[in-house]
Amino acid sequence: MPGRETVKTPEANVSDERVTGVFPVFPIKDALRRRMGAWARRRQGDDRLPIVISTRRVYILPTRAGFAFAGLVLVMLLAGLNYSNSVSLLITFLLGGFGMIAMHLTHRNLAGVALRTVAGIDAFVGEHGRLLVTLENSADTARLGLECEVAGGARAAVDVPAGGTVRADLGLSLVRRGRLDVDRITLSTRFPFGLFRAWTYVHVKTGLLAWPVPRGRRETPPEATSGGNTPAVHRVGDEEWAGLREFRSGDSPRQVAWGAYARGRGLLVKTYLSPAAHYRLFDLATVPGADLERRLEQLSAWIVAAHARGEHYGLRLAEQSLAPGAGNEHRQRCLNGLALYGSGEAW
Amino acid sequence: MVSAAARSTVAATLVFVASVLLIALDAPAWCVVIALGAATWRVLVAVGYIAPLKKFAGRRFLLGAFTAALVIAVAASFRTLNGLAAGTALLLVMGALKLLESRSRRDDGIVVGVALFMLLASALATQSLLRVPLYLLTVWGACAAIALIADRGGSLAPRAALRLAARALAMSIPLAAACFLFFPRVAGQFWALQRADQATSGLSDEMSPGSISRLANEYDPAFRVRFEDSPPPQAALYWRGPVLNDFDGFTWRRDRSRYYPGANLEMLGAPVRYRVSLEPTNQRWLFALDTVDQVSRRDAFMAPADRQLSVSEPITGTLSYDGVSYLATRNHGPLSTLGRRYETTLPLDRNPRARALALDLRARSGSDAQFARAVLDWFRDNGLEYTLEPGVTTLDSVDTTLFDSKRGFCGHFASSYATMMRAAGVPARVVTGYLGGEWNPVGGYYIVRQSDAHAWTEVWLDETGWTRIDPTAVVAPERLQRGIFDLLPDSLPATSMFLHNSVWLNRLEHLWDGANHWWQERVVEFNAGAQLDLLRDFGIDSPSWQHLGWAFAGGLVLWIAWVTLTLRRGVARVKPDRIGRAWIRVTRKLARIAPAREPAEGPMEYARRVGTHRPDLAARIDALASLYARLRFGREADHHQIAIFEREVRNLTL
Repeated sequence: MPGRETVKTPEANVSDERVTGVFPVFPIKDALRRRMGAWARRRQGDDRLPIVISTRRVYILPTRAGFAFAGLVLVMLLAGLNYSNSVSLLITFLLGGFGMIAMHLTHRNLAGVALRTVAGIDAFVGEHGRLLVTLENSADTARLGLECEVAGGARAAVDVPAGGTVRADLGLSLVRRGRLDVDRITLSTRFPFGLFRAWTYVHVKTGLLAWPVPRGRRETPPEATSGGNTPAVHRVGDEEWAGLREFRSGDSPRQVAWGAYARGRGLLVKTYLSPAAHYRLFDLATVPGADLERRLEQLSAWIVAAHARGEHYGLRLAEQSLAPGAGNEHRQRCLNGLALYGSGEAW
Repeated sequence: MVSAAARSTVAATLVFVASVLLIALDAPAWCVVIALGAATWRVLVAVGYIAPLKKFAGRRFLLGAFTAALVIAVAASFRTLNGLAAGTALLLVMGALKLLESRSRRDDGIVVGVALFMLLASALATQSLLRVPLYLLTVWGACAAIALIADRGGSLAPRAALRLAARALAMSIPLAAACFLFFPRVAGQFWALQRADQATSGLSDEMSPGSISRLANEYDPAFRVRFEDSPPPQAALYWRGPVLNDFDGFTWRRDRSRYYPGANLEMLGAPVRYRVSLEPTNQRWLFALDTVDQVSRRDAFMAPADRQLSVSEPITGTLSYDGVSYLATRNHGPLSTLGRRYETTLPLDRNPRARALALDLRARSGSDAQFARAVLDWFRDNGLEYTLEPGVTTLDSVDTTLFDSKRGFCGHFASSYATMMRAAGVPARVVTGYLGGEWNPVGGYYIVRQSDAHAWTEVWLDETGWTRIDPTAVVAPERLQRGIFDLLPDSLPATSMFLHNSVWLNRLEHLWDGANHWWQERVVEFNAGAQLDLLRDFGIDSPSWQHLGWAFAGGLVLWIAWVTLTLRRGVARVKPDRIGRAWIRVTRKLARIAPAREPAEGPMEYARRVGTHRPDLAARIDALASLYARLRFGREADHHQIAIFEREVRNLTL
């Protein structure tokens, strides 16, 4: 069955999750992390963006290096005490204090950072989808080495300058068609000394779609004709202005009407009219075959090809259909339909 | 440019090299060479001058065999693996091997760990003030290396890492001080390592002609003394060391088998209290002023016959003790028969002329005391010369000194005097030690140097008991007032003389010695007892571990509060980029007309909110914010656009 591939915390399978080294070697690590995640979820509840990471939701534990450092300091302490050697005790205490300062610095590096937006960028199965997480640092000191991570293994490290904003780009490998839900973003840091890892969970519902791979050798259905113009997103060669519409995820920043944004009208995208005399209709019912996934892949291949040729096309998937159109936005809506087909979700 | 991974490796290796150099003098040369060679190789590989070792099938096996060979080599050269020196050597070669096989950042971390262990070994071996800056620099470097190892993204410049480490270390200084003062110490060891044999220095329990004058060339301090009250006069500062009772005609020795009970001693006058900080000698003698009554060390042993102080183990580190001495004493009762026999024994076939002279003078004297004075007069009147270079001597060393060369140093005169006493049947012994000392006005204590080494005699006179007679005092009376450097300038090394004569250098030396002594007394010797004394100073009558624990916990809480407050403002102080700086200027200007920007408030929302406060400026502020948003969130902004933005910000007037 296609549909939602839920990589949800905490119950989900996290066996392929990268080792992040909160606990060094124990096999119970995953279980502990899962319990920790579930507990934090209950404790914090759902979050709404934008959110400033308060100290109350920053968790911190020594890393493997931190434990090793503590062991080293302990041995030095024992040696210093054993020999009543004042100088080595001084060095030991200095290093011990350094370790505690390292903990504070790591904690401070994370606490206070703001998570402004999270946007998913859809892609074909087998490719990498992207999750763009915008982090803002309102402090007058830089926050270095912030790591942004979602269940499923994607991770990105960013440095946020003082008073600056940075977008972390998380690659998500898409293995199955459908919606990839992300409901928890883990923000962590080991800066500056790597002896501690401070992390926080942000629980926001977001996600992205995995479109079926464009694959299939069947001939493209013939063109049909119809009248009427449909507004579409700007393409090279198109002239006629059609107005602004709401920004949707996937739109290129180039098409954003920044001037409108500056006037406080929100993110809008410029669209243009293009004449559409002919179009093709891609209908799932007309694609033969037993394997639904193969048939959807064939549709995907047609859509990609038609889009590349700049043609107009429409899509019909059983009870839902999309009127003929062209352009990036149209292509995306069609592909979204393919991705969500069978999940019962509207598109 | 060096990559981030190479930076981490180079930093770790440099810290390793620093700690290798710190222990280079305490470790075998071949270990140091191996460690430095491996470090050089590792750095060259990291920066790309040399290709790394290729992986091949037997690599692990070869490395294992190499490790085993080095461990065996260390064990063979020390005949043990226990002990500070062997442990240090082992650390060195293991660190070198780790460098050879290190690949990852984890390995870099291990190298830094090994370096810190070597630093510990170095601190265990030497606690001198001179090395403390080097230790601190190494700790600083290690902390910066830890930051560079942790920085996987490569956004941390080495300079920034050093700054971060310095800041973190500076903030931990108060905690280190509190821990040092209040962290409960243990008295005594719970695990002992063997210590390497070291060369002895200073006086030994033997005295041949020339052995004291050899010390006269040494400017090194033997010990330092702080008097509790006003110090006795310079000429009374006789620091007794090894007492020698056995003479073979050439060399005086201490024969411990010559044991006899001492006579009853009555202490006269006021006690002199003082504290001695004895430099390591690797021998067992303690030095005390004149007639010592008690010392503060429980392991100190006082021989009953001659009040000679010794401890059970050779003194390998600076050792401090309090002493109570008296400058005048009176003996009750006669010397025991055994004692009289021991203290008058002489080889019968040596120094015939001196023995004959002694018997002659004794026959003309009424008593032992008169005889003692007569011999002193003879010493004064027969043209003996006080010199550091008395020339060659024969096996009959006393005869040579008194009749042939007529030249000698304190040791020669003491030996000769005691020989003549014994020859006439008067019990006598040679005492070696130090005379005088140099007043350090900076620290308020006396430095007694090796060059102050002296030898004198003690003679048993029935009226007074053991009586100090210093024949050097009649040959060269000025020796009692002044040090050897003033008396015999020509015979000493030029460097020591230069140090002694230059007023500037001398003052500098006093300062440095004062700082060293302070370090030694206040820091190095700060122990469990001193901790309790400190609590007593704070007004706790009967301090205990619990009090220490409370003081420690209190300090810790205060420190954590301080750290939390200090760090509230953020982490690494890196300046914001140009766009960020200009935007901060905008928000500062706008803060005058509207509440400050919320942390999670976007630029557009903020501009809109400010606009409601000043409708006349709303459009302007909006334009600025949108410009900022475009520069920040849009494509890479070029220099020109940023310049326009900055100009707009400058032109914004409210």
